[in-house]
Amino acid sequence: MDRIVCSWCQYQDDATRTTCSTCGAPLDVANTVSRAGWRAAPRLREMTEFRIGDTNSTCQVSGEVVPVAEFALTEHDQVFFEQHTVLWKERLVSLHGQALATKNKRRIAGMPYAVVQARGPGRIALTRDASGELVVLPLHPGMELDVRGHSFIAASIDVHYDFIRITGLANVLHGGSGMYIDRFVAQHLPGLLILHGNGNVFDRHLAQGESIQVEPGGFLYKEPSVTMNTIKVPLGGGFGHRNAYMAELAGPGRVGIQSMYVHHHTD
Amino acid sequence: MSDYVCPYCRLGSDASAPACPNCGAPVDVREIRDKSGWVEQPPIKDQARIQFGRSQCQISGNYVPVAEMSLAQGDSVYFSHHVLLWTEPGTQLAARQMAKGWDRRRAGMPLVMMEASGPGRIAFSDDDPGEVIAVPLEAGRSLDVVEHHFLVATSAVTYDWIRSGIWFTLGTGNEKEWFHPLGTFMDRFTANEHGLLLLHARGNAFIRDLDDGERIYVAARALIYKDRSVSMNVHLERPSSVNHHWRLIQMVRLVGPGRIAIQSKYGFEPEEHWAWNDIGPHGTWSNWNSQPSKWRPRVEDREP
Repeated sequence: MDRIVCSWCQYQDDATRTTCSTCGAPLDVANTVSRAGWRAAPRLREMTEFRIGDTNSTCQVSGEVVPVAEFALTEHDQVFFEQHTVLWKERLVSLHGQALATKNKRRIAGMPYAVVQARGPGRIALTRDASGELVVLPLHPGMELDVRGHSFIAASIDVHYDFIRITGLANVLHGGSGMYIDRFVAQHLPGLLILHGNGNVFDRHLAQGESIQVEPGGFLYKEPSVTMNTIKVPLGGGFGHRNAYMAELAGPGRVGIQSMYVHHHTD
Repeated sequence: MSDYVCPYCRLGSDASAPACPNCGAPVDVREIRDKSGWVEQPPIKDQARIQFGRSQCQISGNYVPVAEMSLAQGDSVYFSHHVLLWTEPGTQLAARQMAKGWDRRRAGMPLVMMEASGPGRIAFSDDDPGEVIAVPLEAGRSLDVVEHHFLVATSAVTYDWIRSGIWFTLGTGNEKEWFHPLGTFMDRFTANEHGLLLLHARGNAFIRDLDDGERIYVAARALIYKDRSVSMNVHLERPSSVNHHWRLIQMVRLVGPGRIAIQSKYGFEPEEHWAWNDIGPHGTWSNWNSQPSKWRPRVEDREP
């Protein structure tokens, strides 16, 4: 049987499919890559449906302005998410609160220190309250991803959710991500992570030693192998001059940015 | 000749135009329905026209859409002043006093509406990315709309408001606090004769026709409108947990029969309250609406 490889998640699908069964990316359109090497994240078609990890549960995407991720959970299947993202649910879907480790640190940092687990059978829909697009990232066992806080919509229950502390005062104060960023790890089983990018999302693979400077608010995700440091960009102007800050991402690894972000004022 | 029935406004037309003349929904697109039964309201195409009486409405823009009306002599529409984008000098503008002013003031609703009379052109828009929803109302039909979605209506449509009945209290005695997740009041629009109602939805809009007895739980602020036949109760979802006490998720339980519409952008609560225990381990909440034996005989069961 002919197979087709999804260029976004690398999953091999039946060649007759028009969307990837694990990430929903269209398989019948060419990649959009800028000359600088940024690739637009696949724009998911209305009502695209894909599988959640190795389970029989599925996720269906609708809405192009403020997209909605609608999960059809089979019995005992679970996804977790931040509490406020629930748009609607069916009666049979039960919700369970789960506090995260080191919740006090997260609370001080203004991060969600607990998540809600939804258990099937039934349907539940989640959305972030902003214009943008969904980024579906199937995680293979052993794969890790660092994500900007408050960007994840949902993850399958097998994905381990943790956070890492950002080191360096300049990084904390001017990095745009605060004290912590989320880390998602697929441990022994394949998992699914769905993010919300404000505006449009672009992805790029940095080679060893290659670096790029991005507006701190534009950072969305990176592989742990990519280092991120805040650098000061003097703007001149003599006495009372201003500085701008940029996040410098250095390879090797994959990074993702969003085109709509909170602009951090110069100091 | 009515050989085409628009699936969104359920009115007939001859399908010769690219858009439904009653609600502006595109005729030449397939219905986008998800597996659970929600139908995505298709955005009204740029420059689509809607006919009402001898006047016309044209929708332009597809990010923050504008409703531009060409009012014929004798036709009029009413609206809240903050949605007025522009008007021709010849269009007659007048204040339209609302009854029960004290109640409206307490609920944070506009005390005065504006009325525009033709001939002339006038345009309206709300200030959020989203969609304009055109709801043609046949004589006698009523629609209950959540506050702050109303854009403009023709004068054949009467405007009233009802208590939403969606509330709960936390605490007791002097510390008792009242919460109205959906607002204290809802707008009720009723057509005396065929009229047009324009609403603004933030983000994307989805509609669903609930069967008799079918129910769905929706985030309170996501609701846009419901048919009068759809009953509504407050539903507070509290995630189960052994060690922690969770903030209530404020939802609305909607029970058919009838149509409901929701939006995908609805305003989150402040971040610092996420998962915060606001009523304590021994706290409780109360609402007569959740106790069917007392007040609502048609609600037959308590929520788990």
